[in-house]
Amino acid sequence: MTQKILAPLDGKVFQLKIKPGDTVEEDEEILVIEAMKMETPIFVPCSGVVKKVSVKEGDDVTENDILAIIDKKHIEV
Amino acid sequence: MRPYFEKMTTFGHALKKGRIKSTEANLAGIQKAEDEIQEEVDQVKLAGFSEEKINARGQMTVWQRLEYLVDPGTWRPLHTLYNPMNNVEGTTNVIDGIGKISGKWAVIIGFDNKVMAGAWLPGQSENILRVTDLSKRLNIPLVWLVNCSGAKLTEQEKFYANRRGAGTPFFRHAELEMMGIPVLAGIYGTNPAGGGYQSISPTILFAHKDCNIAVGGIGIVSGMAPKGAFDLEAAEEIIEKAKQFMAKPPGSVNVHYNETGFFRYVFEDETGVLDGLKNYMKDMPAYAPKFFRVAEPKEPAFPMDDLYRLIPLNPKRVYDFEEVLARLVDGSEHMEFRPDYGPEVYAGLCKIDGFLLACIGNRQEYLGRNYPEYADYPGMGGKLYRQGLIKMNEFVTLCGRDRIPIIWLQDSSGLDVGDAAEKAELLGLAQGLVYSIQQTDIPMLLLLLRKGTASAHYLMGGPTANRQNAFTIGTVASEIYVMHGETAAVATYSRRLVKEKEAGRPLEPIIEKMNQLAKEYHEKSRPLFCAKTGMIDEIVLMRDLRKYLVAFAGAAYQNPKSICPHHHLILPRIIKG
Repeated sequence: MTQKILAPLDGKVFQLKIKPGDTVEEDEEILVIEAMKMETPIFVPCSGVVKKVSVKEGDDVTENDILAIIDKKHIEV
Repeated sequence: MRPYFEKMTTFGHALKKGRIKSTEANLAGIQKAEDEIQEEVDQVKLAGFSEEKINARGQMTVWQRLEYLVDPGTWRPLHTLYNPMNNVEGTTNVIDGIGKISGKWAVIIGFDNKVMAGAWLPGQSENILRVTDLSKRLNIPLVWLVNCSGAKLTEQEKFYANRRGAGTPFFRHAELEMMGIPVLAGIYGTNPAGGGYQSISPTILFAHKDCNIAVGGIGIVSGMAPKGAFDLEAAEEIIEKAKQFMAKPPGSVNVHYNETGFFRYVFEDETGVLDGLKNYMKDMPAYAPKFFRVAEPKEPAFPMDDLYRLIPLNPKRVYDFEEVLARLVDGSEHMEFRPDYGPEVYAGLCKIDGFLLACIGNRQEYLGRNYPEYADYPGMGGKLYRQGLIKMNEFVTLCGRDRIPIIWLQDSSGLDVGDAAEKAELLGLAQGLVYSIQQTDIPMLLLLLRKGTASAHYLMGGPTANRQNAFTIGTVASEIYVMHGETAAVATYSRRLVKEKEAGRPLEPIIEKMNQLAKEYHEKSRPLFCAKTGMIDEIVLMRDLRKYLVAFAGAAYQNPKSICPHHHLILPRIIKG
């Protein structure tokens, strides 16, 4: 089971705190999007292992872009 | 109305491991900043002579008097760091706050007798006027610990006269008395001139046996015949007169208890004076809390210390407002007003210590592509838009009708701007909110969670609403400025940049000025600066924020000027629909 992490708003990736293979806890901050002078942290909705990171710092993103994919099953095993 | 209030809708969530892991740095940052503020507070407490030295004279310090007087665990200091005139003493020389005496809330203020025997200092009258205003707004007694040696004469020009000068508090005492608000005064030490009026202007005077109060003290009485200059003969004359008056200062207990009867009571011991005040407070008219409580008091469902993780120290960082509020109100329960309208503003009814309070705050998150509805750009929390302004206007007005005190939880970057915002009537709606607040004669408290910016700082219960705002508390994350420093630098220098560019001149000197301006804005918006200048009345540790809300709620409901019976409340019915 994978969980896609989508951009909730248009903006620029300001900070990226994960890389593929990292283990993340539910509600952990994995990246920050800067938009409209504010920094919006993105929290993962589940625990798991980072399967893929689709962006890098400085990238522009649009609402609903895939930012990362978390492998939920991995941690369950 | 038990079905409405006994168990309201719960909100908020417990922090999960991931969030705790992600917020360690924020927690550490806030704790470090709070430690730095505590160091400043300690400096104020250590100002002047040591406690040992004062005790050796047979006197208690103001801090010891307060500790003896105030019910344990109820002292909520205000204006601790207030020092608007940058006095070298580091204080305005009065210590004040809200606390319970014999189970009843009072505004309490005392001269710091460790510093120049409690002299008037620059900025002090402004401090006292904040205190008399507070007593007036909350309609609760003002209790003084007078010990005032008169003016610091070498700086009298900074505070003696003027509209809000050192004499103004005497008029405010009279005003409180005319409103039926008693001013009690325990009197210690030598209180000449200004100190004499500080002593005589309250309602009931509790004197220590060694105190004196007088129109003029030793200094004035012994030097009242100016000759144009001083010489040796004059000096000898002064010495002789001073000795005489030092032996027998004017206005002793013998005069003002036995002759004039100004002193209602005289006490042998310092603590006797405080016991006298406690005894009077016991008999002070006040509603029992049960008269107004809508439910049994409850602690929030989540730990207060979560606030150190939920409120970002970084002012640009978005957070979940409801999670913060859930750590402050009884049972983490509420009734939200118009949740489907004006999403940037939270408005709702909550309970604090069992009392019904209204809470208004700024949501911080992204508001989606379709909001504000009048513009082709998306909205961001922290800003105010048309619907949010309308919602606040309605809510405040209804709170006035229902006599529900309001807690504002402000963290705003200002109002939306541009022609779309103008066409959406934001300017008129904002001033409409000013009008709504001004005509709502109920106590309000501002908790400045983070940013107080632009006109939003005025509109959301800020201290400029000084007939309604009882007091303003902040956190170490608080900052106040007309606009962010970088925005101000752009506003100030953008045209100049264009001119320099067109003239072919180097831009670096202007850029340097812009950076300097932004830096100055930053320094002059920090919590310590805000507290010293009085923009906020106290910087409060995050874990203590609820204690201030409890004090406000209890004080606001102790002697309200008007009552709305619970079963006549309209706001809960409107919310329920």
